[in-house]
Amino acid sequence: MNPLLRVVGLRIGQALATAAVLASLCFVFVQALPGDLALRVAAARVGDERVTPETADRIRREEGLDRPLIVQYGQWMINLAQGDLGRSLLSGKPVKQELTYHASFTLQLGLIGWLLSYLIALPLGIMAGFRPGGVVDRVTDALAVTLASLPTFLVGIGLITLFALTLRWLPPAGFRTSAHMVLPAFTLALTLVAFSIPVIRNAVVEVRSAFFMTYAQVKGLSPAAAFRHHGVRNAAIPVLTYAALQFAFVIDGFVVIETLFNYPGLGELLVKALIARDVPVIMGAGLVIGFAFAVVSLLADLTRLWLDPRGLAEARA
Amino acid sequence: MSLVLDRLSVRKLPPSAWLLALLAGLALTGPFLAPQDPTAQDLMRVMEAPGINHLLGTDHVGRDILSRVLTGAPHSLGLAVLCVALASSVGITLGLIAANGGVFVRVLIMRLADLMLALPGLLLALLFAGFLGGGIWPLLIGLNLALWPQYARMAEAVATSVLREGHVEAARLAGFSERIILTRHVLPPVLRAVMPLATLGVGQAIMSISALGFLGLGLKPPTPEWGAMINELLPFLSEGFVQMAAPCLMIFVSVLTLTLAGRALAADPTRGGHD
Repeated sequence: MNPLLRVVGLRIGQALATAAVLASLCFVFVQALPGDLALRVAAARVGDERVTPETADRIRREEGLDRPLIVQYGQWMINLAQGDLGRSLLSGKPVKQELTYHASFTLQLGLIGWLLSYLIALPLGIMAGFRPGGVVDRVTDALAVTLASLPTFLVGIGLITLFALTLRWLPPAGFRTSAHMVLPAFTLALTLVAFSIPVIRNAVVEVRSAFFMTYAQVKGLSPAAAFRHHGVRNAAIPVLTYAALQFAFVIDGFVVIETLFNYPGLGELLVKALIARDVPVIMGAGLVIGFAFAVVSLLADLTRLWLDPRGLAEARA
Repeated sequence: MSLVLDRLSVRKLPPSAWLLALLAGLALTGPFLAPQDPTAQDLMRVMEAPGINHLLGTDHVGRDILSRVLTGAPHSLGLAVLCVALASSVGITLGLIAANGGVFVRVLIMRLADLMLALPGLLLALLFAGFLGGGIWPLLIGLNLALWPQYARMAEAVATSVLREGHVEAARLAGFSERIILTRHVLPPVLRAVMPLATLGVGQAIMSISALGFLGLGLKPPTPEWGAMINELLPFLSEGFVQMAAPCLMIFVSVLTLTLAGRALAADPTRGGHD
């Protein structure tokens, strides 16, 4: 069997397994909730004061909440397999529609923040790697440790305080103009930089101390030329692999960032749904995020194989 | 215990160790040091600047920030330690079982760990804590679901290699029981390997707990948890800089201390290292 196909197949299988586990976990969580689900839905729709047992009963019938658990679970999995995520309990809109609307915002923010982080991390990491123990290395190391010790929301609050409240250069929250993107994207970028700088630095250090680099210089190439011709591609393997993986870890960041900046992405949708107990939206958002995570991991694998075909040879052996 | 004492000769303690001791002290004694009731509101004195009555000012309902920060220490720090202790115990136990057991048990446990690692960590905790409406137990369980696999993986890897070594073989031939071999020969190196990871893990847990608190899905108000405090103070950011800075700094210093301590341990696991 083609080893590439095997890697892809394995990862897709893993993604589907992840989705199934998430979906089942969501179902269990909902059943574990204390109190009457139908009553809560009714309260969310018509308001706390006007809930009557009759409205709760009507919703119980409409949403099929009166059927046995195993039937509800089967129905939930079948609907999911068909791409039907149900309707939001709060807005009544199809969950799919809500998810696609919010996902576009998240994708935009994630992509910009991620690209921005490598614009910052690549020059710093490479400079640090060229002089291990030098001034740049020690400064970037301190920077990376500091940023790694700051939770995402603290970075965001710091940026808001400085650029929005003190200097008044940028709006503190919202999403209408491109100026609104600057602070969330930088927050995301800074939290990512903390982990990518050491990876880039170590990749450069390792490649520069490799035997083939010594050989390249012995045969007469200048250090810079040797690095350009032989170093970059080799150093790129761990860096690109990590970069693709890190795009998946953006997920942990954007939930907090979107809530902080009031930015209408998936994370903000998820948090609002969690607070309002809007179960179909919670499940839908959880599934989409989990699945996106798996897809990005697949892309990371493919990138690595493309850059370093030795992995394919091993899979073949 | 001797494992820890051997390693830490007091003369060569790195600065992060002293800070660590300070934080531990704070987590244990914080609530008793609080000068005022951390939940007592005073609506006549909201968002008051730092002064003699309130050293760090008051929040939006007139509660003393200093008292809240101090009382919050055991919640934010203690809970993180508890969380990692639980996750590493579960992880190490499962890892040892996987390393020592048959093929079926090993594959089952390690595949489960892989599957959990394939899910974004905060998402699990978020879903669990969110669904169950916050509070200590949902928070602990949710974070543990995400945390145990890394310990299981490391424990399994170290235990597998130790079990192949000559002295273990000798102990087995000498007739020592499986349990003695595991606790005397396998557990110590596993613990040594896990120590740096666990130290960093406490820092990560502090961040996760405060992030959940910040999202309004962590401990329930009016519990003075640092992340939740930041969430409550956020709308008043422009009026109360000091009030906001206090819990922010506490989180930063705590995580930084643990990160440095973890790095020191990882750099030189035999002597506690220096920074």
